[in-house]
Formats: sequence, C-alpha cells, structure tokens
Amino acid sequence: MTDRRENISGWIWISPWLVGFLAFMLAPAALSLYYSFTEYPLLEAPVWVGMENYGRMLRDEVFLTALRKTFIYGAISIPLSTALALVIAALLSAKIRGGRFYQAAVFLPTLVPMAASAMVWLWLFNGEYGLINRGLELIGIDGPNWLTSTRWVMTAIVIVSLWGVGQAVVVYYAAMKEVPDHLYEAASMDGMGPARRFWNVTLPMLSPVVLFNVVTLIIGAMQVFVIPYIITKATPGGDPRAMYFYTMYMYDNAFVYGKMGYASAMAWVQLLVTLVLTAMTFAVSRKAVYYRGG
Amino acid sequence: MSEGSNPGLGRRAAIGAIAAAGAGFALFGPRGAKEASGGRIVLDYWEKWTGHEGRAMQRIVDEFNSSQSRIFVRYLVTSGLDQKTLIAVAGGDPPDIVGLWNYNIPLYAETEAIIPLDEFDSSYGVRIENYAPAVRQLLTHPDRTGKQRLWATVNTCGTIAMYYNRSVFRDAGLDPDRPPRTIEELDAYAKSIERVSADGGIERVGFLHAEPGWWSWIWGYHFGGTLYDPETDRARADSAENIAAFEWLQSYPRRLGADALKKFRSGFGTAYSSPQNALLTGQVAMVPQGPWLANVIQTFSPGLDYGVAPFPVAEAVYREDEPVGLIDSDILVIPRGVKHPEASMEFIAYTQRPEVVEYLSTAHFKNSPLASPSREFIERHPNRGVRVHNAIAASPRGFVCPRTRVWPQLKDEFDASMQRMWGLARPAREELAAIQQRAQQYLDEAAEQRRRRGYG
Repeated sequence: MTDRRENISGWIWISPWLVGFLAFMLAPAALSLYYSFTEYPLLEAPVWVGMENYGRMLRDEVFLTALRKTFIYGAISIPLSTALALVIAALLSAKIRGGRFYQAAVFLPTLVPMAASAMVWLWLFNGEYGLINRGLELIGIDGPNWLTSTRWVMTAIVIVSLWGVGQAVVVYYAAMKEVPDHLYEAASMDGMGPARRFWNVTLPMLSPVVLFNVVTLIIGAMQVFVIPYIITKATPGGDPRAMYFYTMYMYDNAFVYGKMGYASAMAWVQLLVTLVLTAMTFAVSRKAVYYRGG
Repeated sequence: MSEGSNPGLGRRAAIGAIAAAGAGFALFGPRGAKEASGGRIVLDYWEKWTGHEGRAMQRIVDEFNSSQSRIFVRYLVTSGLDQKTLIAVAGGDPPDIVGLWNYNIPLYAETEAIIPLDEFDSSYGVRIENYAPAVRQLLTHPDRTGKQRLWATVNTCGTIAMYYNRSVFRDAGLDPDRPPRTIEELDAYAKSIERVSADGGIERVGFLHAEPGWWSWIWGYHFGGTLYDPETDRARADSAENIAAFEWLQSYPRRLGADALKKFRSGFGTAYSSPQNALLTGQVAMVPQGPWLANVIQTFSPGLDYGVAPFPVAEAVYREDEPVGLIDSDILVIPRGVKHPEASMEFIAYTQRPEVVEYLSTAHFKNSPLASPSREFIERHPNRGVRVHNAIAASPRGFVCPRTRVWPQLKDEFDASMQRMWGLARPAREELAAIQQRAQQYLDEAAEQRRRRGYG
C-alpha cells in the first residue's frame, strides 16, 4: 500500500472524531472567541465592540464578587478534599476486615447524580429541621442557618464538595498500592512509625498523582456550578449572591440576560485563569514532586 | 483481522457498512411527525405546563385540532422554556407558537424576534380592547420606530392578592371578615397573630415578606412607588416610596430577630405545592399569592377556611375602589421565521375566544384576563377570591413588572438585595442606592445596545 493510500485511509478512520472535534469543539470555541469581542444578545447579530467586554469585567461588582467567591471556594475545598482523600486512602490501604465494603462506601457517593445529592443536602442543612442541626443540638450546639446565613453558606458548600471525594480516594488508593514494599521495610528498619512512613515514603511516592488531582480539582473549582445552582434556587430566604460562583454568573449572562458576548469573554477569562493557576501549581510543585526514574 | 488476509477488503467492507448505515438512517431514520399528518400543516407549540395545567391546555389543543382539518398543533412540554426558546430563535429554527412569560416581551419585541399580532388580519378578532385595562400593559411594547404594538395574547393571567387563614384570625381574636387594608393595619394584625416560644423560637407569624418570597421587588408599589420610569428610561429603586417600603420590610426582622426569622422560614423549605405550605399549616396567617393557590388549598387542605383580599397599601395610597396589585401572565407569541405564521395566528385566535379563555382560567384557578368576564365564569369559579383578582386586573392601579429587556437582571439584583435587607445586613436606604446605581447601569447598557443598532 502506498503512503498516500495509507494516509487517506487513516484520515477516513479518524474522520468521525475529526468532524466531531471541528464541528462541536473547535468551531464553537473559535466563534466564542469572536463573540467575546462583540455585543451579542443572541436574538440580534453580534456587533464588534473590541475589548469592551473584558474591560467591563473590571468594573462589574457581581463579576468580581463571583470570582472572589470561586477563589475562596477553591482555596478551602482543594486542600481539604486532597487531605481528606489521602487520609481515607491510607486508612483503606491498611489491611482491615471488610476493606472492600469501605472502599465501595467511600466511592458510592460519587455515583449519585449531583441534582439528587443537592436535594438531600438541602434538607440535611435545613436550619429548622435538618439532621446536621439536630446532631449539633444533641451536643448542646445551636446550629446555624447553614444555607441562608452568608457566614455559613460557603462552609456548607465546601462540606458538600467533600461528599464527592471518593473519586480521588480511588486514585490515591491505587497509587499507594504501587509504592514498593521495600521502601516501607527500609523505613521501618530506620525506626519510622506509621505517620512518618506516610509522610516520608507514601507522600513523596504519591506526589505526581497528588499533583494531577490538584490540577483537576482547580479546574473543577473554577467550574463549580450544579450543586450551588440547585441549592440557591431551592433556598428561599437565602441571599442568592452568597454562593454565586463564576460559572453561575457566566450561565446567567449567556442564557438568562441574553449577553452572550460578555459570557463568552468570561469563558475565555476563566480558561486563562485556570491555565495560570495550573502553571503556578506546576511551578510550585517542581521541587516537591518526585518522579520515579525521571 | 488475521495476519495475511486482505486488509483492503476489510476496510472497504467497514466503510461500506458505515456508508450504508448512514444512508439507511437518512432515508428511514426517525423524523418529526410533520410529514405524517395527512396533509395538514403541523405546528409545534412549546409550553411550560405539566400536570392539571398541562392537561387543560392539551384539551384546548385537541379541540382545536378536531375543529378543523387544515392545521394540526402538537403540544410540546418544554422545560427551561425561555432559554430553549432563546436558542431556538437565535438558531433560526423556532417553534411555531411559544408560551412564554410576559416579561420576555421587551427583549423579543425590540429585537423583532416575534411577530406583532396587529400585523395579522383583524378578522382573527385579537384586539387589545378585549383585555382588562391593567392586562393590556403586559401585551404591548414599542417597536423599533417607537410605535406601541400588540406582541402577544394572554394565555392565563393571575393577579397577586393577599390570602389569609381565617381560622388563625379567629384564634388571634381578629375579625376574619375584616382583613387589613393598610400596611399599618397589616402590622397590627401581624403582631396580634405572632407567637414566640419561651426559648425565643418563632411558632407563628402574621406576615412574612419572604413567604413565598417570589416577588422581592413589589413592596414599593404598595407605598405608591415604582421601580422604573419608561418615559425617561430611568430606574427608580431609590425613590422615597421604595425606601419607606423596604424600611418597613426591615421592621419585621428588627422586631422578631433576623436569624430567628430565617430559621423559621427555612422550615417551610420549598413546600409551596404541598401540605406543608405555611398558610395551610397556619404558620403564616397572611401571604401575597396568585389565584393558583386555591388549587393547592383544594388539593391539600380542602377544608381550609381562607379569605382573599387586595394586598394592603400605605394609608395615604388606599382607595377602596382601586386596589393595587401585581399582574402576571403567561403569553402566547409567534416567533419570526416560522413557516406558517397565519396558521399559528389561527390557533392563537382560537385560544382567545372568550369561552376558551374562561375554560383555561377556570381550570388553572386563575382570574380572567378579559375586559368583561362572564357572570357564569365568576359564579362557577373554584377560587372564592376570583372577584378580588378580577378587580385588581380591572384596576387602573394594577401594576406589571418593569417593561425593559434587562428586567431579568434587575429582578436578580432585587432578589439578592431583598435577602440582604431582610437579613439586616445593610440599611434599606444604602442597599437601594446601590441597586439604583447598578439598575441604571444595566438600563444604560441596553440603551447603548439599541443605539448601536440604530433604534431606540
């Protein structure tokens, strides 16, 4: 078969993906870049406005608040969920009876549809009848109005985010199984206890996986949407801006306020911020991450 | 594929299979029923209603379909209707008829995304004079030349009144036949009804601004104010009337405690259409609500002794024969670009026949949008407050949401601000000054959009 025929054959085989990529990824992305420089109410043709949408973000109080809240959410939830996932994975790695059951129990919540779990959390956090406040009452604490108090609503959302930690646990658990036994044996011979073995052996060996997970968590935090969106809509009496995150404001601009140009600009800023945060994470982690054989 | 076999044959077979599957799909695959309608014009009608409301509308559609042999309407229940309509219209493939909300009209009218109904032949009988005076504001909007046009018809209409629990009134020693008329009376009634336990927990209130909390922005209208002046395109959020109204709103959490009220409110959850509805349980004695509440009462608490009255107003504003109240409505529009606009109009005209309007309004427990509701409609209506709702629709002081394309954004601002004010996070005057600034900014941006396109 000639090279040319092989080339054609190759292109034909990848054409379904290629067409899909061009039609549903590249073209919309290119169009959204163009729209970000336009004023585009969807029902009328876009009008070129240059950098106006990007400039407006700096003066838009709601945008700045949503961005700040997203950063705060990420700054709290990422370290917390990473630490929790590592601890749970380490506990699951210990040879205990019923280990498989615990593994399944930790992973199960990630299979529950987000909308369904949002409804459950809505009632768990209910100020008057919620189980969480009932539990706190038993130990003499008067629980707050979790979802209607501007002081507590972020804590509530972070707790909900920890509910989905099972996915990271599975990855860490698998990575822990790959750590060579002889390293633990050497550490034990050096007199290290379980905590120091975890800190000096497990964690360095896991560091590339932790880095990967942190990067995905950064991307996820910048895109947080479903849970706060549902909870906000279903919580009368709460300040809807108290948990108004970046993607929620972007969605509202695009599909509720008819400001597709502004929403497109927000999408590109979101991508840029995510790239910068990812690059910073890689830069900071350069000395902390240990690659075997690299 | 095994080693040594002809790779070309396998590839050709695979490509042939894919091509055959594609051709088969194109020729025999699923398609809309538009072609299978016995030669009739098929119209897609997108609507939001399900349940008993959907069944009532479906019945009208069915009756229309059997009343003639030229047009067939398909009733399609669509969730996220406003967003999907926006995208479908922008994408150039709109449904033939859409049941939107009245606040959608300014954007769709200014962008000419819908067809003005006064463009059609007058023989269809759809005229603005058919509707109650206050309802007319909902259906009209200036076109690009500034001329007021009729853009929609009312599908159903509801005015907001005060529903009250007469048993709770009696329990508090109040006369259930003499509901409060002014804000001052409302406060006095509310104080008589309030019940707080020894540990400070609220057990019952007379009135709660956040129940149901759907209309965060209306209070100023009951003090004689407005939020928007369409003549000057200026926001009026920080007017004296609005400040007075929201200071009144803040007097409740000041008296009962913001946290205690929030905790009490959170107990109802989103239980509007359920036996846990706060009016039904007696936890809240007076609520602003639309006529649809009568259906909830009939379904979950048919024995409830309830009353309906116009929502109270500030003493200086009170006039017995001109009640103040919000008018809300679902509307029917024809998107521009539909293939059979005349057929769409024929269906819409059918839905506007008085007997059809009154059938749908009755089935939805709502008041009539018509200028002259029939006596049978009022006498047979399942909502005992229908006269009150009709009176608000007929009142010159019935008000509608600000007629501007940025209303969805302004409303979100108000929803957020009301909660901040209700939580006593900021004095009403300061909060309203901040809303005023942002509201005017949105209005100015919309004006700039119109100017860029050479209209407005």
